[in-house]
Amino acid sequence: MWRPGHRLVGLRGACAGVFLACAAPAFGSDGQQPLYAEAPIDPARCAVEDDSQGWAARALNRSLTPQLGLPAVPHPADNAPSIEKIELGRKLFFDRRLSINRTMSCAMCHVPEQGFTTWELQSAVGVEGRSVKRNSPTILNSAFLNPLFHDGRDVALETQFVAPLVARNEMANPSAGWVVAFLNRDDDYIGMFQQAFGADASLDRLGQALAAYQRTLVAGDSPFDRWRYGGDGTALDQAAARGFDLFTGKGECVACHLVGDQDAMFTDHAFHDTGYGFMREDQRQNPPKTTRVQLAPGVFVDVDFAHVAAVSAVREADLGRYEVTEDPADRWLFRTPTLRNIAMTRPYMHDGALNTLRDVLDFYNRGGPGHPGQSPLIRPLGLSEAELDDIEAFLNSLTSPNLDCLAAEARSHPPDNH
Amino acid sequence: MNRREFGALATSALALGVMPFRASADETCQSPYMPMITGHEEYVYIWTLGVEGMGDEQDKMVTVDLRPDSATRGQVIHTLSVGGRNEAHHAGFNSDRRYLWAGGLDTNRIFIFDVHSNPAEPRLHKTIDTFVKDSGGCVGPHTFFALPGRMMITGLSNDDDHGGRTALVEYNDEGEYVATYWMPTADDMQGAVAVDGAVADGYGYDIRALIRKNIMLTSSFTGWSNYMMDFGQMLQDQEAMKRFGGTMVQWDLHTRQPKKVFSVPGAPLEVRFPWGPNANYAFTSAALTSKLWLIYEDDAGEWQAKAVADIGNPEDIPLPVDISLSADDQTLWVNTFLDGKTRLFDVSDPHNPKQVYEKQIASQVNMVSQSWDGKRVYFTSSLLGNWDKKGADDQQYLKAYDWNGTELVETFQIDFYEAQLGRAHLMLFGSAALYS
Repeated sequence: MWRPGHRLVGLRGACAGVFLACAAPAFGSDGQQPLYAEAPIDPARCAVEDDSQGWAARALNRSLTPQLGLPAVPHPADNAPSIEKIELGRKLFFDRRLSINRTMSCAMCHVPEQGFTTWELQSAVGVEGRSVKRNSPTILNSAFLNPLFHDGRDVALETQFVAPLVARNEMANPSAGWVVAFLNRDDDYIGMFQQAFGADASLDRLGQALAAYQRTLVAGDSPFDRWRYGGDGTALDQAAARGFDLFTGKGECVACHLVGDQDAMFTDHAFHDTGYGFMREDQRQNPPKTTRVQLAPGVFVDVDFAHVAAVSAVREADLGRYEVTEDPADRWLFRTPTLRNIAMTRPYMHDGALNTLRDVLDFYNRGGPGHPGQSPLIRPLGLSEAELDDIEAFLNSLTSPNLDCLAAEARSHPPDNH
Repeated sequence: MNRREFGALATSALALGVMPFRASADETCQSPYMPMITGHEEYVYIWTLGVEGMGDEQDKMVTVDLRPDSATRGQVIHTLSVGGRNEAHHAGFNSDRRYLWAGGLDTNRIFIFDVHSNPAEPRLHKTIDTFVKDSGGCVGPHTFFALPGRMMITGLSNDDDHGGRTALVEYNDEGEYVATYWMPTADDMQGAVAVDGAVADGYGYDIRALIRKNIMLTSSFTGWSNYMMDFGQMLQDQEAMKRFGGTMVQWDLHTRQPKKVFSVPGAPLEVRFPWGPNANYAFTSAALTSKLWLIYEDDAGEWQAKAVADIGNPEDIPLPVDISLSADDQTLWVNTFLDGKTRLFDVSDPHNPKQVYEKQIASQVNMVSQSWDGKRVYFTSSLLGNWDKKGADDQQYLKAYDWNGTELVETFQIDFYEAQLGRAHLMLFGSAALYS
C-alpha cells in the first residue's frame, strides 16, 4: 500500500528517468563531495527517541527553545502557545473543508514534504484552478518574519490567514464568518476550541491556533549554523566556506540577506527593487515570439506564443509592494526572502519563474535588467563560474536536519477531506 | 434480467475466461460487460461543466434527443444541475447500464444518475462525497469502467501533494467502497516488471480491459495541480511541465495486480481495445508528443508498447485527445484539441496506421463518440475548464455527423454557450429500449 511517507522516496526514483531537472547535491568548485546532501523530505525518516508525550508536546518545546542559528521564537503576549492550540492549528491547516467547495486546504499550497511550499508549480493554483500570480512562500520559519507575504501586506500570523481564506483565487470562502460558523457546528472542532481556548471558535481564535502551529515550524541548526554558531569547524566543507566568504564579500548578498553575530535570518525584512519584478512585468506585456515547452523527458519544442496565448487567461500584473501602499515609489519592490532551507523551497522569486538556485545566482551576477528604478545594490558582480559554484554550495548548507520530522508531525493525522 | 442476475452471469463468464457480451456496446469503447442498444441510439447524455456567469453556473447532465423521427431530435430535452462546479469530466454506466456514474475531478464528488426509470430524464440517484476518504487519499475520479457488479474508477491525483501519484478505486454497484489499488512506482513496483527501462511514475488516467486475455491497461496523465490550472500558464511553467505521466500499466484483471509497466512518454490518454476475437492489442494516443501508440501481444505472447504513427505535426502540439475505434477494428477517429480537427486513421494493420481523412470540426474539439455501426459520429468541445481556449475560440458544442465512408456530413449542432449550458464534455448514449 502506498502511504504518504513513501511518496517522495518514489520521487527520488523518478528523478532517474522522468524528471530531468530534479535537484542534485551541489558540489563545490573543487568537486569535493559536500558534507550535507540535499535529499527529498521524507516523514518516514523522522526518528524520535521518546514519543511518549506526543508530537504536539515536541512541537511546543521546539517553539519555546531557540535553535542554533535562530533567535527565540517571538510569541505575542496574547497568544501563548499550548499543545491544544498547536494540535488545533495543525488540523485547521490541513482541512480541505475550509474552502467554498471543500477542496482547498492551506496545505495544498504549503506541502510538508516540499518544504511547506510546492516544488511542482511556479505560482499557486486556487479554488477551481484559479491562478495566483505569486509563488507559494514556505511557512518554515515564518514565525520570525515581519511583515509577511511577498508584498508585506500583513504583519502577524494571527491575522494573515484571513486573506487566503476569502480570496477568490485561493480558498474563496463567502466570508470569514461562514468558516467560523462551520467550526462551531463541527463536533471535533467544538471540542478542540474548548480545550484550546475554553471558548467557542471565533475569528481571533482561529488565527491564534493557526499561528501557534506555524510557530512550531522552526528550522535552524543547519551545517552553516553548526559551523558559524556551534564552533564546529568541520560542519562546512571548503566550497561552502569559500561560498560564505563570497556571500559576505564580493557577492554582497549579505547586504540584504543579513547574518548576525548570534543568529541569522538571512533577510532584512525590507523591500527592494531588484529589477526582477520590472523585468517580469515587461515580459508579461511583451512576450517572446516563442516559448520552450517540455513535452516529455528530453523532448522540447519552441511553441509560437500565439498558440500559448490562445489557451491562456490574462495574467495579472504584479506591482509588488505598491499594491499594498499605492506609493509610486514602491512599484516592483518585494520583500527580501529568508535563505534558510532555500535548497528545499524551489522554485524561486516571487513568481517562481526561476527553477534553480543557479538561475537566481546568474540573475544577480548579471546585475539584474538594469531598469532605472533598480536598487543600486543590484549591479554586475563579476563572479566566476567557480565562485558561483561555491556560493551555491554555501546556500545548500542552509538546510535544517529536522525537516523530515516537521513533515512527520504535519502528517500525524490524515487531512479532513469530506 | 435484473441487476444481480446480470452481474452473476457476467462474473461466471469472466471466471470461465470468455467474453459473454462481445458485441454488447453501442458506442464502441464501452465496457464489454455492458448490454447493448439494438438499433439507433435514442439519447446522448452530455456531462457538462458549469461556467460562471452562464445559466445557473452549475455542472449538469444534459440530455439531447437523437431519435430519428422525433420532433425534438437534435434538441436539448432535459438538464439536471448537480450543484457547484466540480470539474465535470468523464462518466460511465454500470454493468447493467441502469445507472450512470459521473465524476468531478476537482471536488471528487461522484454523481450516480438513474437513467433507466426514464431514459429521457435522468435523475440523481446518489452522490458519493467520500471518495478521497474512502480510497485513502486518491483524488480526481476520472474513468468509470464497469465490471460485473462493480465500478472501477481511475484517479488522477492524491490528497498529499495533488501531484500525479494515484490509484484505481473499486466500488460496488450500490456505491459502496470496495478497495484501492495504488499505481506502481519505481520504489514500490508491487510485483510489476518495468519493460525496457520504464520508470513507474504512479500516474493514472484511463482504464480498459481485454477480458479473454485477463488484462487491464491503464494510462497516465497529470495531477490536480496541473489539470486544474490555466493551460497557458502551465505551458510556461517548467516545473509543471515535468509532471506528466509517461507510462502505461498492464494489470491482471482478476487479481488487480500490476504486471508490467511500459514507457509511453508524453501523457498517454484514452485506451481502446478492438473487438476482433484475435485482436490482441490496444491503441492510445500520447497527448503531448502527438503519437499513436500500440500496446500489443507479440509472437512470444508478451505484451509490448511501441509508437506506430504521428498525429498531425508533433512540433505544433496538436494535442490528441479522445480516440474512437470502429466496431470492425478497421478505423480510428483521433481528435486533436488545439487545431480543432478530427482525423481518421486506417488501422487495418495496427502496426502501420495511415491517416485517410481529416476535417476541421471547430476551433477546439475534445470528445468523439461513434455509433456501433460507425455511421453516426458525435463531437463535443471541452477538455478541462481551465484548458479550453479563451475568447472567441472557446466554442462549446455538440455536433452530430453522418459518416458515409468518405465524408462527415453534419446533421445538427447545438451551441452550448448560446443555450447557456456550459462546456460540453463526455457523451454517452442512452435508449429506452434497454429497459422495456
